Amino acid sequence: MKFILLSAILMASLCLQAQETKTVSGYIKDGSNGETLIGATVLIKELGTGNISNVYGFYSITVPEGDYTIEFSYVGFETTEQEISLQQNVRLDIELGTDSQELEAVVVSAEKEDANITSVEMSTAVLDVKSITKLPAFAGEVDIIKSIQLLPGVSTVGEGASGFNVRGGGVGQNLVLLDEAPVYQTSHMFGFFSVFNPDAVKDIKLYKGGIPAKYGGRLSSILDIRMKEGNSKEFDIAGGIGTVFSRLSVEGPMIKDKASFIVAGRRSYIDILARPFTDVLSEGGAGLYFYDLTAKANYNINEKNRVYVSGYFGRDVFKFDARQGFNWGNRTTTVRWNHLFSDKFFSNFTAFYSNYDYAFAFGENDRDKFEWSSNIITYDFKPEFAYFLNPSNELTFGAEALLYQFKPANAVGVSDGETTDISLDEKYALEISAYFGNDQKVTSNLTAQYGLRLSTFNYFGGTKYSYDTAVPGERRDVLSTEEFDKWESIENFMNLEPRLSLNYQLNPVSSVKASYNRMYQYIHLISNTVAATPIDVWQPSTNNLRPQEGNQVATGYFRNFKNNTYETSVETYYKWNANQVDYVDGADVLINEFLEGELLSGKGRAYGLEVYIKKNKGKFTGWTSYTLGKSELLVDGINYGSDLVNRKGSWYPTRYDQRHNLKITTNYQLTERLNVSGVFTYLTGTPTTFPTDRFYIQGMVIPLNDNARNNIRIPDYHRLDLSLTIENLRKKKPNRKVEDSLVISLYNVYAKENPFSIYFSQGQERVPTDTPVDTFAKQVAILGTIVPAVSYNFKF
Amino acid sequence: MRKFLLIAASIFILSCEMDINPDLGEAQRVLVVDAWINDKPEPQNIFISRSQPYFDNSFPEKVPGATVTVFNELGAQFDFIENDSAYTWVSPDGTSFGNPDSFYTLTVNLEGEDYSSFAYMGPVPPIDSIKYSLREPEFGIDEEYYLAEFVSRDIVGEGNTYWIKAWKNGQLLNKPSEINIAFDAGFSAGGVVDGKVFIQPIQSGINPFDEVPDSPGEFVPPFLPDDSVYVELLSIDIQAFFFLNETAIQTNRAGGFAALFAVPLANVPSNISNIDPNSEAQVVGFFQVSSVSGLGRKLDEEAVEEAQLNAQNN
Repeated sequence: MKFILLSAILMASLCLQAQETKTVSGYIKDGSNGETLIGATVLIKELGTGNISNVYGFYSITVPEGDYTIEFSYVGFETTEQEISLQQNVRLDIELGTDSQELEAVVVSAEKEDANITSVEMSTAVLDVKSITKLPAFAGEVDIIKSIQLLPGVSTVGEGASGFNVRGGGVGQNLVLLDEAPVYQTSHMFGFFSVFNPDAVKDIKLYKGGIPAKYGGRLSSILDIRMKEGNSKEFDIAGGIGTVFSRLSVEGPMIKDKASFIVAGRRSYIDILARPFTDVLSEGGAGLYFYDLTAKANYNINEKNRVYVSGYFGRDVFKFDARQGFNWGNRTTTVRWNHLFSDKFFSNFTAFYSNYDYAFAFGENDRDKFEWSSNIITYDFKPEFAYFLNPSNELTFGAEALLYQFKPANAVGVSDGETTDISLDEKYALEISAYFGNDQKVTSNLTAQYGLRLSTFNYFGGTKYSYDTAVPGERRDVLSTEEFDKWESIENFMNLEPRLSLNYQLNPVSSVKASYNRMYQYIHLISNTVAATPIDVWQPSTNNLRPQEGNQVATGYFRNFKNNTYETSVETYYKWNANQVDYVDGADVLINEFLEGELLSGKGRAYGLEVYIKKNKGKFTGWTSYTLGKSELLVDGINYGSDLVNRKGSWYPTRYDQRHNLKITTNYQLTERLNVSGVFTYLTGTPTTFPTDRFYIQGMVIPLNDNARNNIRIPDYHRLDLSLTIENLRKKKPNRKVEDSLVISLYNVYAKENPFSIYFSQGQERVPTDTPVDTFAKQVAILGTIVPAVSYNFKF
Repeated sequence: MRKFLLIAASIFILSCEMDINPDLGEAQRVLVVDAWINDKPEPQNIFISRSQPYFDNSFPEKVPGATVTVFNELGAQFDFIENDSAYTWVSPDGTSFGNPDSFYTLTVNLEGEDYSSFAYMGPVPPIDSIKYSLREPEFGIDEEYYLAEFVSRDIVGEGNTYWIKAWKNGQLLNKPSEINIAFDAGFSAGGVVDGKVFIQPIQSGINPFDEVPDSPGEFVPPFLPDDSVYVELLSIDIQAFFFLNETAIQTNRAGGFAALFAVPLANVPSNISNIDPNSEAQVVGFFQVSSVSGLGRKLDEEAVEEAQLNAQNN
């Protein structure tokens, strides 16, 4: 209802203003390849007012009639000025040429130089793909998820862990969008590589706080990844040959300046390389590899309409032999239609399909086997509108309908030819939301971005389980079940999510910002392992599992020095969350019909300080990010110490709680062709749980703990990575546009055996029953050596 | 899963481990009651001890002076008499302990504190047969070998739970990874496997996979001709199922790359408690009364022929 009301107000204002003002609008593109530019600045010099292009490269400014000089600028591109006489609405599509000056070696953002000061956005970071290619990377492969971990407030629990943690939030609390479609698993080969092919990615933006109303559905962060559209002017072939995998991408026009495409693929060959080291892979069809394919096409129908189709298909395969193995992967398809209702009324309609699945197969023949697969499928329709009311107000509003289909387990076992199906019922849910927001320049110094999101969640169809109430922390048993028809609602939720960000610009080089956001998360990543893994399942909110609620306030001070050569910021955040998911001891979370009985609910809180210093210009560039943080949970039945009767919990640190998180990224341009780069990482050890005692039951030696959780920390983590990039191995010839580079990287230069975890156990060997069992503590390093790598990249 | 982790571990040969000796603080020295008794015609033992510091690698000593008694649901009393190492009940007339489908209570009195526990003794199906199958060399076993499987059918009625123990050539398969339990014929509750033949991973969960000493990635063949296997199927109650499930999780920590899949350390659930909840005297442990069925088979000429014939037919 509010939505309709607001739309009405909007339409009214449209009529009021139409008389006196005129609009200049259009798309801003990269002149060399026709890619639209996200976040390019448009400035009306006479008025000192302007705007930035949106994620589709569209801008629109409405000002009084008159003659103006418009300046278009974007880092790395030549600033272009255009004189216009604005007597009527003007459509002005602009192509910017590449800056003739030497580009800074590494830039984190490709935005306006002082965008950090002027933009109302805080707690966000934009990564430029070009710049991250020069950073040292594991196995020499540019990795988007690893790169965002170099930013303040972003961390991981260690090598091999899937996903990332933002401001003390869990891996399952990040929404990762690839061309609007959610990607549920961001990792290849557990956490060693990420699923995004940098050759096909145009823009990466991470929201840690101050999240605009158009986004919702996760508590901690939104990682919005936009794919390239493909060169609309000429064909490009780019690729790379690396130590672990190779990449190839082809892009080009289908109809010059009207339609283009990009197809990019990767395939790993670590299985082939590993063969000399282990004979496990050389026998009987065993394999270990991953591949992914990213494709996108767009067609510019006319000035007012443009359509995009994009897709991602990736898979990891572990095969023990021809019949047995484990594989997982994401598939997404997105169809989008940009439509201009008028010069100042932009719209985008998105429909997507996303499917994450994994499957196991065991058993040597058809009479004895076990096959198990799990999926989460999402269908979505999302209309979004932007109304560029006037230079001081940019209204956004829209809606989203998400249909979830959960297939937690499709599992069939065959024993001696007798088949048993232990599959779990599918679950369905519909998440519908509507939002509106406004970016408003309140005064010349104060900018506000505010909005409201209304989200609803309907869990329907199938079996409704009712559980008893148990002692806190103990498994709850089913009391009764009730069957519901396919579209019959079992449980409904509706919530309001207010969002507010403020920027007060103190002077041209400094500003203070503050933000508040509330988020609701209706689907939950069920993961009780030390790190998130590909076999975790997603579970909808139900009558037994409330939606997670997250609140965050953040404040920040932003200051640039020496003509924007140095950018600095200090931010603080405080988050308080409700309905956080934890697990009963020994929770059985896979193929369990009564999973909800294994889940516990509690409160969460996280707070911290983030410091960011960046040098943008000169031969020596780089940035330092430091986070002082704390992340805790309070769940009855966990960490209750000696309160054996009521088992009231006390606060305990989350598995991903890290007190200090320091990343220093440096880059030095030695010569025009030589570039060296280094990254140093220091992280406080993550918490883990220790036993105090051990005891024997039936010959089994069992650890005993004083009912404390995460009561001690593993040692600190630190690592240095270096890389050397040699550009243009073959001299450029005037008529050939071949570019190539060789990247030599050293990961973990001083071969630190960084602890991933500590575990307490007896050995794996058999102990005769008349001999006492030895128990010990072992510290595991997933990566204990230096990893050198070479990769060769080309483009022609 | 075992093979999967093995392969993963082989690939990520970069992972490594080291022994550490963290300070774990003062041990709690909690009273431990280990009371698993069954209907086999032999003396039944209950062990009472105290927990040890985690790095104390010795057998715990018996705690003397306890009064240990088990009652059946009709009130009949079974006294467990203290001896050198345990508290033991010996049948006065040669009959075995207990009757399936009945409830038992354990009481332990020690130093003025009373502890009690409660267990259900369920029925157990017979093991119908044991089969061997011939396998080609693979995964670090570079000769032909045999796998054993037991064939048995879950008792009809939802919620029967079992513990499957196996011995190779008389040696108990007692590694944490070898804890083999069943909920009906499958892994967990849900009902669809009720009354079925035990599912494949449970049937074949009686094979030892032991690494050849000092040769990581190489395994001793589970069974070769002239080896033998003995399998016992024990009925356990639902609490014991969860106890063993959790014990397997807490004690089977493979380390290395498998650390990614590890769950946090937590206490396994006990089913014994101090009858005064406010007492300072804590107790951990488990009381269980099981029905047992068993079957053994040697991999003799007949079994070898049978396995080879089956291999040809497949």
